[in-house]
Formats: sequence, structure tokens, C-alpha cells
Amino acid sequence: MTVRSCLIVDDSRIIRKVARRIVEGLGFEVDEAADGAEALLYCTSLLPDVVLLDWNMPVMDGLTFIRRLRELPGGRAPKVLFCTIETQPERIAEALAAGADEYVMKPFDGEILQAKLAEVGAI
Amino acid sequence: MTQDDFDRLQTLLASRAGFRLTRDRIHLAEHRLGPVARREGFDTVEALLGSLWVKPVASLAWSVIEAMLNAETWFRRDRAPFDTFANEILPAIGRVRPGGLVRIWSAGCSTGQEPYSLAMAALDARANIEILATDLSQRAIDRARTGVFTGFEIQRGLAVTSMLKWFEPVDEQWRANLPLRESVRFARANLLDDVSEPTRFDVIFCRHVLTDVEPARRGQIIDGLERRLVDDGVLFLGPDERLDGDTVAFRPVNGRKGLFVKTPSALSRAA
Repeated sequence: MTVRSCLIVDDSRIIRKVARRIVEGLGFEVDEAADGAEALLYCTSLLPDVVLLDWNMPVMDGLTFIRRLRELPGGRAPKVLFCTIETQPERIAEALAAGADEYVMKPFDGEILQAKLAEVGAI
Repeated sequence: MTQDDFDRLQTLLASRAGFRLTRDRIHLAEHRLGPVARREGFDTVEALLGSLWVKPVASLAWSVIEAMLNAETWFRRDRAPFDTFANEILPAIGRVRPGGLVRIWSAGCSTGQEPYSLAMAALDARANIEILATDLSQRAIDRARTGVFTGFEIQRGLAVTSMLKWFEPVDEQWRANLPLRESVRFARANLLDDVSEPTRFDVIFCRHVLTDVEPARRGQIIDGLERRLVDDGVLFLGPDERLDGDTVAFRPVNGRKGLFVKTPSALSRAA
């Protein structure tokens, strides 16, 4: 089986580092992007298997990113997990309607991320 | 905590709860009993235990016991058994019961994630169910009954769509909605207690419980499960929990880890 890839999109370097450690531990090959625009540029050349996506970021937020991603050729394939501090049901529903496969509320830990990745069939 | 304290604690857990407190848990015991000591008005864990050994007050003993039990649980823990339950067991048993009523017992339910997971699956399938959920720990049962979970707990094993469907945010936490809360009946119960005329269930979940049971008490608990299970019912244990050598009353179901049914010998014995 080929190594699965994961793109971590978050404007916080600390969060990216924490998330990277967790998903690398689950056997993923990881790349990082600091905002939605950077992530979208990445995805136009290479679609990852999984995207961990923050909501509030400079330049382009997570919601805009996922809508654009889903319009790309093959852009429905990546499993996208929002990872954000937004916990209002309306906001969560908005993210799902925009095409998110799962939703992780910060703070999270390795067990939660593993469970959510299993939920979408990524592991 | 002295070694003597720990030895006595081991004996207490084994005799009252059938719980195997392994040697390596002495530091865990210190850690868990600290809050109990403070809550009960003792300066130290040693003072708490010292008092308990001199004057074994039942309520204090149970507070100590409850603190030492293994309360770890998840929503849909190990996933596969909950899919087996929803897709295979529930429809199969419902078809052959009057009114389609399936009786379920979550034995050792801790803070309620397991019975609520079963209830969500059953309500989604519009199945007719009764769920009884029991645990040895009164504190765990009290918490389970509130249906309130932290952000960490609610995300362990539960899909976000299920969370939105069955839970509502309350003060940074998530509370099961009324239909979900009302579908589970919670009660404190000790699996070691003898029940003279037990209610019998179609499905028993007793997962990740036997692992922590004192070997000498396993047979007694398994007998109790057998007596409370109807002849054509099913028993779910943890995926790696075995009954080899403990009983001839159950046999594992091929291809379904942790799923057990009664053997013909158990049926004839019951008749």
C-alpha cells in the first residue's frame, strides 16, 4: 500500500507541529500550509488523501478553501477534517454543508484525531 | 501509602468489587485517592485509609472502591461491535420478538457512552428497545444519567453528524437530548450480587469489564451474565476478551470478535 498523505492547514505553527506529530505517528506523510490560499495552490498540483483544516486563517479561511477544493478536478476525493475552535452547532453544520467529512473541535488529542480519521475511513 | 495500605486496598477491591488491582497501580492509587481524601475531609490518603481500616464505614469504602475502578470508555468503542449490533443483531432479534421489542443490558456502562451509543443506533433504526445500563460506581451512574460530556469525551468515537443529531451544547459541554436520555435507564448494580429472579435480556454488552476482574471471581460473573441472557441472546465482550476455561456456557461466534452465544449445554442446563 502506498503511503497516505496529509496536508495540515493552520496559521499556527504550534498547532501544525502538534498535528504533524500525531498524524505522522499514524503513518501519514505530512505537508503543511499556513492558510487556505497556500493550501489551494498545493492542491492544484497534488491532491492529498486527507486535509486537516483550520477555520479562521489570514488570506483565505478554511470555509472558502474547502468550497474551492471541492470544485477542483478530483477535489471531492480528499477527506477533509475541520480542526477548529468553533463549537456552535450552526457553524459545524455550515462546515459539513461546505463539504467537510468530519469535524474536530479544539482542543483535541491523538485519540480523538485517530477516531475521527477512522470515522472517515482514512485509517 | 504504605505497602500494607496497598495490600489491604487490593483485598477490599477484590472482595467487594471482584476487581483486580495489580501491583503496578500503587502510584495510580495515590493519585486517584487524593481527591477522595479531600472530599471526605482527610488531610492525606494515609489518614483516609487508616480511618477506613479501623472503622470500615460502607459509604467511605465505596468511595475508595469507585475511585479505583477503570472508568475508561468511548462512544462506539472498537466500532465493529456497534455495527454488528445495529446491522445484524438488532434486526434479527427484533424480527422474532413480540412487538419487535429487544431488551438490552449494558453491564459496566461507566459514564454512559456505551448505552447511549446503542440507543443512538437503535433510535436511528426505529427499533423498539429497552436499555438498562448498570455500573458498580454510583458516581459514574450519576454522571451517565445527566448525559453531559466534555468536548474530549464527545469526540472519542462519535461522528460529528451523530453529535449534532443527538447532543446540544451546554456550558462548553454537550448534553444528550431528551429522546436519547429517555431511552436509557441507569441503575447502580454489582455484577457479583446474586439476583434471585433476574430480568432476562436479548443482548448483553459487558465489554472491557472481565479484563479487570479477579480471576477467582470471573466464573461467578460469567454465570450471572448467562442467567440474565435469553437462550437465543448474544453477549458482547471486548474484542480481545476470552472465556476459554471460564465457562462451557458460551461459545465465540466466528468472524465476530468479542461476540458470544450460548452453547447447547447451557440451554439444556437451563431447561
